[in-house]
Amino acid sequence: MIDEQFIRNLESIVGKSHVSLTSTGVELYSYDASLVKGNPGVVVFPADTREVSQTVKAANRAGIDFLPRGFGTNLSGGTISVTEGLVICMSRFNKILKIRPDSRYAVVQPGVTNLEVQNALAGVGAFYAPDPASQKVATLGGNAGENSGGPLCLKYGVTSNHILGMEVVMADGEILRIGGAALDPPGFDLRGLMVGSEGGFAIITELTLRTLPKTESVITMLAVYDDIQSAARSVSEIISAGIVPNTLEMMDATVIEAVEANAPCGYPTDAAAVLIIEVEGMIVGLDKQAARIRKICMNTRCRDIKTAKNQEERDRLWQGRRGAFGAIARLAPNYLVNDACVPRTHLPKALEQVKNIAHQYGCRVGNVFHAGDGNLHPLLLFDSRNPEELEQVHKAGWDIMTACVELGGTISGEHGIGREKQAAMHMIFSGDDLNTQQAVKSVFDPENTLNPNKVIPLPESPGRSLPPGKPTVLKRPGGASAKGVSEAISTIKAAAASGKTIRAVGADHFGYFGNWCKGPVTPLSTLAMKEIIEYDPANQFITVGAGMSLAELQTVLGKKNQWLPIRPPYYKAGSTIGALAAMGVSGPERMIYGAPRDLAMGLQYIDGMGRVISTGGKVVKNVAGYDMTRLMIGSNGSLGVITEVTWRICTRPELCRAASGTGALNDCFNAALKLMNANLFPAFITAGPKGDSHGPFENQWEVIVGFEGLAMVVEHQVDQCRNLLGESGLTPGEPLDYDLIDGCFRNDFDMLALAPYTLKAASETEKMLDVINGIKSMATPTGWFLDVGCGRVFVALDALKPEVWASITQNIISFDGHAQLEKSPESFRREKDIYGDVTGTERGVMHKIKKALDPGALFAPGRLPKIKAANA
Amino acid sequence: MDIREEYDAISQCNKCGFCQVACPVFRSTGHESGVARGRLALMRGIIEGRIQWGRELEGPLFNCLGCGACTANCFGAVPTADLIVKGRAEYLEQVGRKPIHKLLFDGLLPYPHRLHMAARAVALGKNSGLSRMAGAIGLLRVLGRDLARAENIIEKLPAKPFRGKVKPGEYNGKGASLNIGYFVGCGIDIIQQEAGYESLNLLKKIGKTVTVLNNCCCGLPAWNYGDMDAARKLALKNSDTFAARSFDFIVTDCSSCAGFLKQYDKVFEGDAAGQNRIKSRMPKVLDMVEFLFTQKINAPKRRTPVVVTYHDPCHAVRGQGISTENREILKSIPGIEFREMPEADWCCGGAGSYALSHFDLSMAVLDRKMENLASTKADVLATSCPACMIQLSHGVRRKGLKTRVCHISEIMTGAKAH
Repeated sequence: MIDEQFIRNLESIVGKSHVSLTSTGVELYSYDASLVKGNPGVVVFPADTREVSQTVKAANRAGIDFLPRGFGTNLSGGTISVTEGLVICMSRFNKILKIRPDSRYAVVQPGVTNLEVQNALAGVGAFYAPDPASQKVATLGGNAGENSGGPLCLKYGVTSNHILGMEVVMADGEILRIGGAALDPPGFDLRGLMVGSEGGFAIITELTLRTLPKTESVITMLAVYDDIQSAARSVSEIISAGIVPNTLEMMDATVIEAVEANAPCGYPTDAAAVLIIEVEGMIVGLDKQAARIRKICMNTRCRDIKTAKNQEERDRLWQGRRGAFGAIARLAPNYLVNDACVPRTHLPKALEQVKNIAHQYGCRVGNVFHAGDGNLHPLLLFDSRNPEELEQVHKAGWDIMTACVELGGTISGEHGIGREKQAAMHMIFSGDDLNTQQAVKSVFDPENTLNPNKVIPLPESPGRSLPPGKPTVLKRPGGASAKGVSEAISTIKAAAASGKTIRAVGADHFGYFGNWCKGPVTPLSTLAMKEIIEYDPANQFITVGAGMSLAELQTVLGKKNQWLPIRPPYYKAGSTIGALAAMGVSGPERMIYGAPRDLAMGLQYIDGMGRVISTGGKVVKNVAGYDMTRLMIGSNGSLGVITEVTWRICTRPELCRAASGTGALNDCFNAALKLMNANLFPAFITAGPKGDSHGPFENQWEVIVGFEGLAMVVEHQVDQCRNLLGESGLTPGEPLDYDLIDGCFRNDFDMLALAPYTLKAASETEKMLDVINGIKSMATPTGWFLDVGCGRVFVALDALKPEVWASITQNIISFDGHAQLEKSPESFRREKDIYGDVTGTERGVMHKIKKALDPGALFAPGRLPKIKAANA
Repeated sequence: MDIREEYDAISQCNKCGFCQVACPVFRSTGHESGVARGRLALMRGIIEGRIQWGRELEGPLFNCLGCGACTANCFGAVPTADLIVKGRAEYLEQVGRKPIHKLLFDGLLPYPHRLHMAARAVALGKNSGLSRMAGAIGLLRVLGRDLARAENIIEKLPAKPFRGKVKPGEYNGKGASLNIGYFVGCGIDIIQQEAGYESLNLLKKIGKTVTVLNNCCCGLPAWNYGDMDAARKLALKNSDTFAARSFDFIVTDCSSCAGFLKQYDKVFEGDAAGQNRIKSRMPKVLDMVEFLFTQKINAPKRRTPVVVTYHDPCHAVRGQGISTENREILKSIPGIEFREMPEADWCCGGAGSYALSHFDLSMAVLDRKMENLASTKADVLATSCPACMIQLSHGVRRKGLKTRVCHISEIMTGAKAH
């Protein structure tokens, strides 16, 4: 209860002037940018992590609900207290702590706005890719909480793809660090799970962002259409041509009219739709890309397309898009922005439905949206002072979500579920799916005090589970009816009944991975699950069974000139999709394409009760519910058996070509670092000892830098890169064309794999040499492979003493990195933790999740990093 | 005043929060009470009966700088600064007005002579360190409890007002035809007199006659404070002064006065008779910057290069839409390198008497301005509002910067920035 004692406690923690309790204070924090309202009991403004922690502990002691809030621009009611609880306002967390363009990361406090960090990064030639339209005012804490998108995410992905780590205050007040500058720490992907958790898992107090070097040049075009269908077709065809514009923004006739009436910026008022298309990148080739886009547009019945000749014209074109909300806003006192998503080829149908629905409820509607990723933003106009209008607009919003889900989409692309779309979660998730998500929430927040009663629909009575029923609207093909799944379910149920443990096995290529565990493990073969469940080349996704091999998948995709852009190390012919998803591994091209965590859009798995649980969906932008997909990817099968995965796929690049240079290790490394923040966009930057040298370790190394994409752009970049390598004191080698699927390094990894031990260490890029020197001083590696682009070192060892392993991991941790043994003999695995001897609450949380989702400890024993307590 | 009449305008706020990015107060406090969205929400709360009039509203209603930056960033273009003034007016009626305000707005500002006397007394007190005397007079005291700390904002008060030295009346100029009225704002009259002399010289270059008007305060302080009756009284008094003689136009070197004079009709909103009277009596009003720009006055060439940057007074950039003229003028002067300052159009935190009543907030806003100024390494910071000059000069002293603050008129005559 909020009583005087509690207020006094708060005042003693944050200071009297940072507690707001008055009736005006309550009114001021009773709203955000959504239509949800709710009075807070009290509002506090902590100054630092310690104060947040103490505040949370005080709230726990007093039994008071609490939630974090930034600048309150949330569009789904996520920052409103619906239980008259404590609002913890993070507006004083407004500092940028660190910017490291060469290692491609920045550390910020959550109250910094997106634009502030963009401005700071611009000063060092870098940028942070997610750019929500609200970037001027939306804080990064909120961006992370909601997994924000923005126009640029068509090219670069959403917030989740760009958060490397964070510091959080847990619901019990404990402070926890998750991830960091080093990529992909072992164990569950907690940072992936945390992003998009809408303030319901923990309170973010610091964020490590992935940054990228700024591009060289930009071309902005305006395409005009007489019908929306043609505009949507242009969008699909541009993308399938392998061109990835950084934005494809569409506006319909209503918006065009409003914009032109308000501040004319040259949109023809008789058009049915306009499309703003922007490509950016190297100056070379950009004109040709633009020309190709023009051709595609004209072939898809574009009336006219014009290119901005200078910055002024460019600003003018954008002015219309940026002012679109405003122009519409002036037509009525209020507007509701819906943000449902559909696979992009269904946009015309979705827009037609939006029009009908708006008509049905008598709302005026304007459409301005991210056409490239099928994310609609119908603006429904109304007057919030009129309760009837408010009700109509809510109904219209509901029907639009229904229509989009029927088209295979989702209920929210970037604004979140919060309070506003809670009930709509039933449209896309089964009761079991939702109960599983709730179980994860309960791991983080067992007392349900942190931003309670949001996201997951409320059960009939508190504490009860939701009935298991199927999603009310979405039809998910595959699932229990897919080939091999029902057999797997029987096996799992039988194992559970007889107290056995289960490990999913595909081609059984990675049996040497993980910690040793006693007792018999029943292998569960996934090889029967090799169906293509759904393949939509135009919308660039494919859903395949876990038992299909990656090689076969690439062959299937190759027929449509597509591929899954990943070349996992140590992969052999026959290694499966299931292993890829479960292990979450990636090769050096992770630098540009991302890891499985970035490419998987949804999946299904069988849990310990034999239920098929679905996560995610099949659209790129999808923030509906907690990010269970990322929890499952890389969980090494320890939460369930993955049966199918939906992947985001790409058009095959025209050309894959690598530049190389040889020289001393230091020079190689410095050249690689220079490339990290140069105006070039390599697919990978690697280095390794040069083949047959017998000289000292440091003297003969080779840097290999790959470029993939449109031929003309690749050729230009390879030239530039060779110059840069030469300027850095290296001897440039001849450019090398390599195979798209196999890449450059299959042999290198095969060589490493011959050793009994293979180690993978990741750190901040700039600290890689320290990591290398550390390993070298403690052990005697027989092979090295540096994945500089991703800050990773792959090492082969003939021998490794258990006590040395502990010092190696400790040393790497001292450089904010982490290490694991991807391969080691059973004798070693009996004794030591191959995920590195580390303590820390991060792992404790992983084990709690494991316990909640796999209470019978049925799945994949030994595949989760140990916690020290368990060791003892 | 009844803010219920503004219900439509207040409800136009969709709570998107975009005002936060531009609000200097919010950037300093991070508190929802210090930004348009919050202030509008409170007024809506009052109208819809969730909130009662009371002292709690003083902060949210009165800590607005009135700079208008929120409106410039608002999709619906909600005129928050104007709505706040109306909120203040009702606040004064509902919650109360301090007697000291009465003295200022009713007893001093309408009467240039009395104001001069008061200023003189304050000057005596201040310059001799007798700050208590200032308190006794009440001129500055009026503006709030932060006065004791705010006192250093004004470095030195001249003992005599501008119009104590240049008597109101007609002066001959070098021009052929134009009859110009020079409106002397309180800031020029009492404090920034050096700028006033240069402005007058410039006007004389162009005008056949220049009349130093015996105007009273333009009324903006009273209006901003929510004292609409006082503002109306002042507006009427001034319009009478203007109508007494036929002018081609009136020029003032205070952008705040210029902005307000141009909007006198809004002071009489809902009062048709008042509006007609104003319309029939008001000559064309020009900001000094507009005058300099349209008359194409040449400034003397600088022998040694000097770097100049510019601060946009709120009442120039948003109040009157003046943002390019001043820069064009400065860029055209040989020997001057114009260097743009980040966030040049952000409020300096002076906002008339704001610094005197909200010292900490005002200083937080000023600090941001000074950081931006320092980043330009400019020799001179020019502007066109005497109130901004006071605040900016204080900021420069506070931060120990070498930059000199001056009025654009002083640059044009070559008196400064050489």
